[in-house]
Amino acid sequence: METVAVKTDPVTGLHSWTWHSPLPLECTSHSAHIRARNQQSVSQWSPLQTIPGWDIPEKSESNMFPQDKVVPVGSNMTFCCIVKEKEDFKEIMYGRQEMSATRLSRRTYAITATNQPVSGNTGTNVICCSQRLTLTGAVVFVGYPPGDEGLVCETRDLASAECSWKKGRDTGLRMRRSRTKYTLNGRDCLEANERKRWWCSSKAWEQSWTLVARNPLGTVHLMDSAQLTDRVHLLAPVNVTAVEVKAWSATLQWSWSVAAYKKLEMVCQLQLFAHELNSTRNYSGPGLSSVVLESLWPDVDYTVTLYCGSKHGFWKWGDKSAPYRIHTKMDRPDALDVWMWMDSSNTGCVFWKPLSVRKSHGALVGYEVSQSSAEEDGWTPVSLPPGNFSYPIILNNGSDITVAVAARNPAGLSQPSTVTTPAYRADSQLSMSELLSTNGSFVLSWQPNANASSGYAVEWVPTGCSGLCPVDWKKVPESDSSFTLNSDSLVAGVRYTVSVYALSTGAPTLLQRWQGYSQEMTPSQSVRELLPNQSGSDVLLSWKATAMENQRGFIRGYTIYLANAAHLELIANISDPEVQSYRVKGLSLSSYKFVVKAYTSAGEDAGATVAIKMEMDTADMLFVGILVPLGIMFCCLILISICCYKKREWVKKAFYPEIPGPKVPGDWSSPQGPLDVKPSPHSLVHIVESPEWDFTKEGLFPVPEEEEESENDNIEVDADSDEPALLRYYNQVVGDGSHGNQVSDSSGSSNTSVDSTQTEITYAGIQSPTSSQGACGGGGYRPQMQSVIGPAEPQIEFEADFQDDGLHAGYKPQCSWQLDSPEAENFSGSLGSPTSVTSSQFLIPESSEEKPQPSNTWFHNFLSGKS
Amino acid sequence: MAGRSANGRHGLRGHAGRTAALARLLHKDCIQLLELYRNSESLPSSPVDGDYLVSIPPLVPQLSDEEKISILHAALKECLRLLEDVITREDAEFSDEDSEYKRKRKTVRDRLGHLLASTEQLLVDGQKFEAKVKEELDGQAASGSFGLKMWIVRVLQDLVHWTGQTSDTLHSMPAEMEKAPKTMSRRTRRGAGKIRK
Repeated sequence: METVAVKTDPVTGLHSWTWHSPLPLECTSHSAHIRARNQQSVSQWSPLQTIPGWDIPEKSESNMFPQDKVVPVGSNMTFCCIVKEKEDFKEIMYGRQEMSATRLSRRTYAITATNQPVSGNTGTNVICCSQRLTLTGAVVFVGYPPGDEGLVCETRDLASAECSWKKGRDTGLRMRRSRTKYTLNGRDCLEANERKRWWCSSKAWEQSWTLVARNPLGTVHLMDSAQLTDRVHLLAPVNVTAVEVKAWSATLQWSWSVAAYKKLEMVCQLQLFAHELNSTRNYSGPGLSSVVLESLWPDVDYTVTLYCGSKHGFWKWGDKSAPYRIHTKMDRPDALDVWMWMDSSNTGCVFWKPLSVRKSHGALVGYEVSQSSAEEDGWTPVSLPPGNFSYPIILNNGSDITVAVAARNPAGLSQPSTVTTPAYRADSQLSMSELLSTNGSFVLSWQPNANASSGYAVEWVPTGCSGLCPVDWKKVPESDSSFTLNSDSLVAGVRYTVSVYALSTGAPTLLQRWQGYSQEMTPSQSVRELLPNQSGSDVLLSWKATAMENQRGFIRGYTIYLANAAHLELIANISDPEVQSYRVKGLSLSSYKFVVKAYTSAGEDAGATVAIKMEMDTADMLFVGILVPLGIMFCCLILISICCYKKREWVKKAFYPEIPGPKVPGDWSSPQGPLDVKPSPHSLVHIVESPEWDFTKEGLFPVPEEEEESENDNIEVDADSDEPALLRYYNQVVGDGSHGNQVSDSSGSSNTSVDSTQTEITYAGIQSPTSSQGACGGGGYRPQMQSVIGPAEPQIEFEADFQDDGLHAGYKPQCSWQLDSPEAENFSGSLGSPTSVTSSQFLIPESSEEKPQPSNTWFHNFLSGKS
Repeated sequence: MAGRSANGRHGLRGHAGRTAALARLLHKDCIQLLELYRNSESLPSSPVDGDYLVSIPPLVPQLSDEEKISILHAALKECLRLLEDVITREDAEFSDEDSEYKRKRKTVRDRLGHLLASTEQLLVDGQKFEAKVKEELDGQAASGSFGLKMWIVRVLQDLVHWTGQTSDTLHSMPAEMEKAPKTMSRRTRRGAGKIRK
């Protein structure tokens, strides 16, 4: 129940009051009655008036309310679903969201959507469903009022108007009936209403403009006012053509699609596009339709774009014309930049720099080089293809040559550039200063020269280069006396020779020359020919600097390292690069490895390594290796001699015991005569004993008598034997000449030796009597008998012969050896045994010691203590 | 749906086979179109209250295959008309922005036209059947935008139904029927005779 104050309509005298229901009245039946109140008095209620809803039995179908409402974003709204008769209710969906429904009547259910978001393209569906069917639904369009702004009107034809604006925020309302409608000064804006463009046109210009944008949620009014002349937006020029194209200029013409433009004072802007030649030019005039394009470059493709605007009350540039292409004609090339570089006193090369597109004025077809000398009249021209940028020069008789070079393209020949041979000055002839770089660049300055009437030329070339060298130069005006050689024309790690010449009408004059690196680097190669030379306990290391192209910087010095297992030990730093040797002193006998590194301002190179093993000096070796052992040996011998002398009695007992005299029956005390043992001078046998026992070589050889007589100590006794004769044995052959036939050795002297009657024996040792084996004969005393160690057969024969000899001869005091073997080999084998000639007993008793013993006298004397 | 298997149980070949394949392809397109529309409008998958819009005489077994094709042809013809109405009304009322649904809608319209042209060649001369549309668009549109949307759904449901019926019928046709399309063959013969004269 609600109490309101209602006034009477003065015309009709009726009372009226409107009530807005939050719920659509169709959802269910609504009843109302009214009564009047005047202060404290209240009338009776009027009869109940009922507005029937759509849920009455007469309307049995399903329905939803409200339908197709357009509401602003964020608003709240109540929807009701009237379920058809005999159908159940399941849910109400708001879009994809299931809503909580409230039952209003038997068939009516309601939901309330709060803070509604903007709808999609076709609105937001609210759907009422039963368990099996989609019963009914409604669509709500949630969006924004119009957001358009910025109305601007202008003219394109100096008569009509075109107004445009910004659309602003999307309303979100895309249904036809809820789209934004536009009117311009009260007239429908067809273009915008069809949603093609956000502009409206008017056939006539008006001083002020009003745009009304309206949709179900709101209305926007946009205003604009301006004079027509202040809002001229020209259309694009048409039919743009170049009527006259030259090498350096062109005339451009165009026309206008609007006749009224011909009287309009306009300004035009022309854009020229070419490779690195873009430019913009302005032109003005009434009804401008032609301009002359000056300062073009020959043989260049230009693309021209043109647009214009009103000069008075300029509003904006008009539309651009379609791009138009212009290709300018060719022209003669510019003069070349020419330089001459001498690599010797009579050879050099003329260089010229390639012309840029701006200077060639057309594709070059070649170069023409002409040269003249003082001795020859006229010029000698040579044509070169366009890829050549140098030409060799040879001076005859040392006279200067002037060379002229010109470039040719289809349009003609350039002005020739001349250069005269500069005097060759070798680097060695000059005292060049070292040029230090600044951030990779060389900053050069020199004393101005009065002869430099044509300026200066700065030339730079890799030092020491010969042949095809990358000579580069730059010509400097005479007003300048400094130049910065940038790093982009230099290579790091390359030594450059930089020269400054004074240019005049004659030959260039060298003013100054430097050498330097734009950026020093470590040497790319190590020092060369690193050699160690031992001198006593010192080692002298010597080397040579690496080639200049590998130095990559000024060599500032050398460092010498001793390489250990894991690291390098710095032993010297030579800061003078001219010193290329170093003496390492006081080294002990061992192996050493030295590393020598050259260094520039950028650092050291990888280093060259050399190894040396320290060895003893030759004099030391002689002293230590020979004299010292000899001395020691000599001392030992003296000591042994002294010792033996002191102990001579013991030695004699130990090594030369007394030999008991023979005990024989009868009277042997006085021999009947002396025993003559003097060997026959014609029966000599050399017995050669090898210091090492060798079964394969025999030591006893018959020696020719003649050789014995030659008194040669190194007697060559046998052609097959190279062993020295250590033992000389004169044996008296006991047998007669029959034994000589048994010796079949190749030596012919064997036959003569068998007749020897005198035997000389050299004793190599002393044997005890008990060591004797066998017997020399069956009769008489035999103090010793040295058996022959050899084949059994010869010994048997030997014994047999001995028996025979014993029978035929008288007493034989001993029989140590018999040359009875018929076989030469057996004979030689027997002779080879040293034991075969060794006896420990003296054949001559002591009573006969006065007899001379030539072979061992001193030794006997020594042992016996006689001097 | 055995008849909707590959080339049918009788192994249709030639024109009838191609028509059956086209009908099966169109049926799938219609199912996808309905699904796309339901997704874009956030509509539940439950059917819309009401019968099919297009009605035809019952396809009793006594009818020959040719007669069934003729009846279904009439139904498809009405479906095409309804679809074109949908397109016109939809583009007028709602946003004309491009969408997958609209691309598929155009595909269905084009293929439905091709199917009608193709089935027309299988019709029996002299026999003409007509289909009826129970509810036209105007009555539905009066109930607002939602009514229009529901009517679109019903048109799409009809498309699914009648293209399915046509596909089944074409695939159940005996092989001998499609030896030579009668209408086409007669027309061809007549045309050929005219050319000979």
